[in-house]
Amino acid sequence: MRTLFQNANDRFQLVLMGAVVGVGGGLAAVLLNRSLEELAEFFQPFWNRGYAFLLPALGAVLSTLCLTYLLKDVGGHGVPDVIYSVTRRGGLLRFRSSFSRLIACCLTIASGGSAGPEGPVVISGGSIGSNIASFFRLRDRQRVLLVGGGAAAAIASIFNAPVAGIAFSLEAILGEWTPTNLITIAVASAVGTEVSRLLQGNQIPFEGRIVGIGNLDVLACLGLVLFTSVGSVCFVRLLRGVRRVSGARIPWSWIRAGCGGLLVGLIGMVLPDVLGEGYGTIHRAIEGQYPPGLLIVGLLAAAKIVSTCLTIGTGGMGGIFAPCLVVGSFVGLFYGRILGVLFPTVHWAGEGYFALLGMAGVLSSVLQAPMTGIFLITEITGSYQVLVSVVLVSVMSVTLSHVFEPFSVYHQDLAEQGDLLRPRTDRRLLSELDIFELLETGCPRLHPEMRLREFVDIVREWGSRLFPVEDAKTGEYLGAVRADDVRSYLFNTHLYDTILVEQLIDSNTPAVSPDDALDEVMDIFEARHVSSLPVVHDRRFLGVISKTTILDRYRKELIVQEEI
Amino acid sequence: MKNELLHIFRNTPFGRETLMQSVYFAKQTAVSLRVYIPAFRQFLMYFENEVVTVDLDRAFLRDPTTAREHAEAVIREGGLEPHFLEPKGFTASTLPDLPVEYAFMCCPRSISDLSTKIGLGHIGPRVRNIIRNASFPILMATPVHKEWRSVTVFFGGSKNAVKALRTGLTVSRTAGCPLFLFTEAGRRPKSHYEKIIEDRGLSGQVQELVTGWLFFEKGEFRNHLYDVPHDSLAVVGAYGHSAIREAAFGSKMETIQTVLPNPMLIVGPRCSPAPGLP
Repeated sequence: MRTLFQNANDRFQLVLMGAVVGVGGGLAAVLLNRSLEELAEFFQPFWNRGYAFLLPALGAVLSTLCLTYLLKDVGGHGVPDVIYSVTRRGGLLRFRSSFSRLIACCLTIASGGSAGPEGPVVISGGSIGSNIASFFRLRDRQRVLLVGGGAAAAIASIFNAPVAGIAFSLEAILGEWTPTNLITIAVASAVGTEVSRLLQGNQIPFEGRIVGIGNLDVLACLGLVLFTSVGSVCFVRLLRGVRRVSGARIPWSWIRAGCGGLLVGLIGMVLPDVLGEGYGTIHRAIEGQYPPGLLIVGLLAAAKIVSTCLTIGTGGMGGIFAPCLVVGSFVGLFYGRILGVLFPTVHWAGEGYFALLGMAGVLSSVLQAPMTGIFLITEITGSYQVLVSVVLVSVMSVTLSHVFEPFSVYHQDLAEQGDLLRPRTDRRLLSELDIFELLETGCPRLHPEMRLREFVDIVREWGSRLFPVEDAKTGEYLGAVRADDVRSYLFNTHLYDTILVEQLIDSNTPAVSPDDALDEVMDIFEARHVSSLPVVHDRRFLGVISKTTILDRYRKELIVQEEI
Repeated sequence: MKNELLHIFRNTPFGRETLMQSVYFAKQTAVSLRVYIPAFRQFLMYFENEVVTVDLDRAFLRDPTTAREHAEAVIREGGLEPHFLEPKGFTASTLPDLPVEYAFMCCPRSISDLSTKIGLGHIGPRVRNIIRNASFPILMATPVHKEWRSVTVFFGGSKNAVKALRTGLTVSRTAGCPLFLFTEAGRRPKSHYEKIIEDRGLSGQVQELVTGWLFFEKGEFRNHLYDVPHDSLAVVGAYGHSAIREAAFGSKMETIQTVLPNPMLIVGPRCSPAPGLP
């Protein structure tokens, strides 16, 4: 089967694999949904007890212990792992990630942890795609597409939103919209959605009835941008802060997660709407049936941000999609009610309208992915009449929040580590090349005892501009002689037998290691104004790397990427 | 490919024996030794087509304050310069990615400190996974260090056995020690194996380096293993056949590692044809 498949046309392979991955991603999402329902039902009777505030802590501890010791998986809420794998590791993901995060996430969310199921289901779908690609021995680029396809199928399936799945995968995971990407991911997303519809029915998750949107409502949504941007920036910063502080203070992951869970449980005792993934709250907000007043809604928005950061930031397993939607709906409600207070005579489109726009704004800003926000909100609410307002809020929220937080919640850690390499960028192209592939190994080696005469003969024979000098006995690299630096001696025949190579060595010539990244090597070329550098490892000369060879391979790599 | 042997250090007496074998092997084959002292329970190795997660047991993280000092002492005592690996990439903050461009990697039979698992006949699943995916041969250390003075290549004529032979020839030449071939022939004549060697262009090297050919036409494979010199490094090709065939007929490598207490150099199915030796 594998051979038959490998002989098929590239695009056909990808379409076929996209469908297979779509089934896998879709099933993973359905499985998670069902498990969450069952587990939430199991926890339900305990919520009336006095110790209920301990449940999120218990769930977080169990989730961490289960993930670390039973499933032996390590990692965050999923999506950054997928992005890292796509940008740095050719889409390779561990098989165990296809189920480990789902189990851990079920325990976290069903016990009241404030998180969503989307992050874990994305890594699950991505891992299914990656492992299918590995089974069929597909190339890195094809594997990356299937990882994207798995992620798209998972999102599409869990929200019954195929276009949002495509947008999320292209925008957040792969980072580029190309026809080839689109084909595979669209197929996976469509198949994933169909799997979900087949097993769970075709329902719009948060159907809203928004009517009578006037020009004033559209104009008012500009003010909402300020609230959604502030909310999303606070969210991203607090999440980062909680992760850093808790990681530094509490070294044991399960205790850290338990502490986070305990605080969430305490918040939940006062404001129970912050617990869990919060889909019920979103329903009520969109339908305009959320009774608490203006201040309580504002407090709830802040509390949901805090409790999500405490859950995920301390190591609880879960995604941020659903919390973003809940925070967004609270922010929208809050803004809508402020408008109601300030302009009591104006007939606004309704609280549901602002809740929906708030969801789009916060989600788009936190993810720095406006298309995902736009498509997701319109698909999960079925409210296409609010499209214009959603587009405005999403795009402007992303623009405004980008000023304060240039990276999305998924990208910030990767960017800090220097691992965020977006497609077709200079660093990404260079990262695809390996120093060993570019090494010129045939150049002659000099010894310190050699006379200039011998060196001149070598220069005549070899066109190189850089000659390594090695210790004749130990083979240790001592430095290099650059033909350009000794040009004046080369024409003075009187010096041929009086000058030794030892005197010509430039021991300051920078050497690069095979472990160095090529972008760092290029920086050295620029800084030192040289065209070739010796590659030295363990005090042994391995070869020469030249700027010309790098640029030549860079161009070829660019052509390959453009063809795809 | 770096001309190095990767060693994952375990700060225990058992780990010391393993490190001593790595040091000896590195000296014999003139490769550098790169030691990784784990700081976390897991690490990842991103091979060409698969990512392998290595879950270490607690012994690998034991007494981190003395680990480096202990490793340095063993390496210097062996006459080598210590080089340590500091991972650059991290899949997660506690999940380092180890480079995979090495000439060799040293693994005990099992990445476990349980004495029941250290003995013969048990290769841990993580070690198997590394063997299946690595582009370099795996030096499978024995529980106690013993210097090897010859190399024995198990040559059954398969594609993987040819890779093992190439590796054995290179190790034998670099280490300057005698090379033996071991063949369990069955019904095939010796000329069949000689032709394979000739077709692969190895006959010259085989004539030059091979000092003895343990060629068995009859008898039981397990019994013949007694003829392998006790102080020989066994070079074996592994997992060259499909999973179904191996499940049905068993694997020679499995039998060898169950019976033979010698250190083994295992050449997996994804190994480069010639290891990165000088």
